[in-house]
Amino acid sequence: METLHPDSLYDAADLGCGDLAIALMKAVRLVEAGQLLEFRANDPGAVVDIPAWCSMTGNILIAGQTGANGNSYFIRKKGN
Amino acid sequence: MAKLLVSITNAKNDSDRATVGFVVANASVASGVETVVFLSTEGVRIAQKGYADSIHEEGFAPLKELMDNFIGAGGTIWVCSPCFKKRGLDENKLPANTVIVGGAKVVEFLTTGGTSITY
Repeated sequence: METLHPDSLYDAADLGCGDLAIALMKAVRLVEAGQLLEFRANDPGAVVDIPAWCSMTGNILIAGQTGANGNSYFIRKKGN
Repeated sequence: MAKLLVSITNAKNDSDRATVGFVVANASVASGVETVVFLSTEGVRIAQKGYADSIHEEGFAPLKELMDNFIGAGGTIWVCSPCFKKRGLDENKLPANTVIVGGAKVVEFLTTGGTSITY
């Protein structure tokens, strides 16, 4: 698997549904266009919601990984 | 841009529905969708500063926090005018980004590409 080097990390812990979407919006706002965000989320709905959110907002979900810190989603911010 | 109207018809009489309505509205506004929360019937009570402060449904964030996040993310709240007047509520106690509207505004939104979900 490709080794990813995120520019920023945001841990949403167990946030889900609308709280998760708000956290995604805030986390992506904190990075520059083209940068890679590691977004950690362990709500059971996140695996479905995060790809859907990326599809709606135009940000790119590069990969999802499960590791010692739980589930990580690597999102490249649109615009570059 | 896609448009979603989240209709909330409950307040303290059913805080579960009132809360989940704002949870879904937050998912929508944070996804880049033009989002309006439409408060009608008992739901208009939420549009009074301080009313939501005591609503914290188990398993969810407090309603005040959800509303603040919604408004902070660019969401708009519409309040049914006759429902508001019937209950004798105070126009000077509306939260930010909250507007009293009549039915025409809702119909215009829904007939120009908007869709809705009701709680």
